Amino acid sequence: MNKLITAAAGLILVCGAIPGLAAELHVLVKDHRGRLVADAVVVAIPAESKNARLAKPPVDAVDQVDKQFVPYVKTVFVGSKVHFPNSDNIRHQVYSFSPAKKFELPLYGGTDAPPVIFDKPGVVVLGCNIHDWMVGYIYVSETPFFAKTEAAGTATLADLPPGEYTVRVWHPSMEHGEESTARQISVNADGPASATWELSLKPAFRVPRVSGASSPGYP
Amino acid sequence: MENGHASAPAVASFAAFMLLAAAPYAARSDWAVGTDAGVRHDSNVGNAQLSSDIVADSVVDARLSAYRLFPLGDGLGLTLGGDLAGEAYHRITGLNNASLDAAFALKKKWGLGAYAPWIRVGGTVARSSYRDDYRNAWDYRATLASGRRIDERWNVWAEYTYEDRAANAGPEVVPGLSGDAYSQISHNLGAYVEYSLSDRAFLSLGLSGRHGDVVSTSAPNAMIYYASRALAEDPAFGPEAYAYKLPGTTWGARLGVSYSTTEHSLLGAAFERFDTHADGGNDYTKTIVEITWDYRF
Repeated sequence: MNKLITAAAGLILVCGAIPGLAAELHVLVKDHRGRLVADAVVVAIPAESKNARLAKPPVDAVDQVDKQFVPYVKTVFVGSKVHFPNSDNIRHQVYSFSPAKKFELPLYGGTDAPPVIFDKPGVVVLGCNIHDWMVGYIYVSETPFFAKTEAAGTATLADLPPGEYTVRVWHPSMEHGEESTARQISVNADGPASATWELSLKPAFRVPRVSGASSPGYP
Repeated sequence: MENGHASAPAVASFAAFMLLAAAPYAARSDWAVGTDAGVRHDSNVGNAQLSSDIVADSVVDARLSAYRLFPLGDGLGLTLGGDLAGEAYHRITGLNNASLDAAFALKKKWGLGAYAPWIRVGGTVARSSYRDDYRNAWDYRATLASGRRIDERWNVWAEYTYEDRAANAGPEVVPGLSGDAYSQISHNLGAYVEYSLSDRAFLSLGLSGRHGDVVSTSAPNAMIYYASRALAEDPAFGPEAYAYKLPGTTWGARLGVSYSTTEHSLLGAAFERFDTHADGGNDYTKTIVEITWDYRF
């Protein structure tokens, strides 16, 4: 009987809320020209901190495909263990200098690299020391309530416990800080709430894959 | 060395040694295959001084490159590969040529990431075959380059190349004066900067200096004759044209813009200007305007 109760409690923890009592927040993110923005991270920090403990850190992955990080932006809950499988038929050397997580995975292929635990909230910029144009982002969220916008600029934060939240938006190319996007939003189980953000985005300068600087034949 | 030039067997032996040394790393190596094509207009193909000798022409060129990277660890990587290239001239069709080269480069990065400074040493052996085969040559190049990406917008690098072009010596046109006009040895230095105008557009500026042999093609001319080290007929430019080999220094500047049409391709346009000061007051200039397209698989 105790095992059954523990299993049921675990299921609730993983799901984040009891069905029927959960709320939803629908988000639309556009840039200052009205274009829909993909890969924007939306996080909701509950006013009541106990709500922030309703999930356990999952195991996640950022792949490497065609010499690019996939996905380009990944959101994980703080404490998550992230694997970096390499689906290319070559070796990569993944690293980050970001204060939120400094690490280096020496040259590896396949699934040889050990997972990395992201134990501090913040933005982690990923790179590959062999292929300089490879760049990716891991947003380590302080809250388990987060989502990432699709190509249509939309994201849904589901299974939110009803209550007050501070909601913020982050994007790799945003001109101003994430804090400038903070809003107080109240959600309840009666129906989904919605909100729209307009971000000022700067050009995303990246090391080019093909460049006049690359010779002989390789950067 | 043979007649001042590195011998082909020696170069082949060195290339074989490099391949053997890299063999243990081959299982996880990285192929980079690319192609590029372009069209350019050269205002002075024959490097002539007098307006009556200057010939402008347009050239279409294409190249296929295949390189293999062998990461050796600790920021060290070996690149082995080669290029197959061709050029077709609109007017001076005797200069149409195809070339095949083999190259290696050893690159060291000090530190992790795109912004780490790097140094590269490399060598290339190329064989070029012309429609008018008196220009056929072996070309040996040794390069030392170093650079650093300053930030996400600025990239700077510099390069020194020693080039030894070994062509077949032609018959002496004038007794006592070498007919080996197409063999050249030169020292080349270049400094380059690339700036990202946007996430897809790039501006580049290059400054170069070259000291060594230059070949200037003109009608018979006393001033250039007395300064020349070698002289040969150059029928690609006409029955009365002669190629004179002189020591000289060339200064060049290149301004280019490029645009990433896709993540794998780059469309570019460039303007180049070269001023050469050769012995005996034989100075000439040339301007090159080109449009290029690069694709990296």
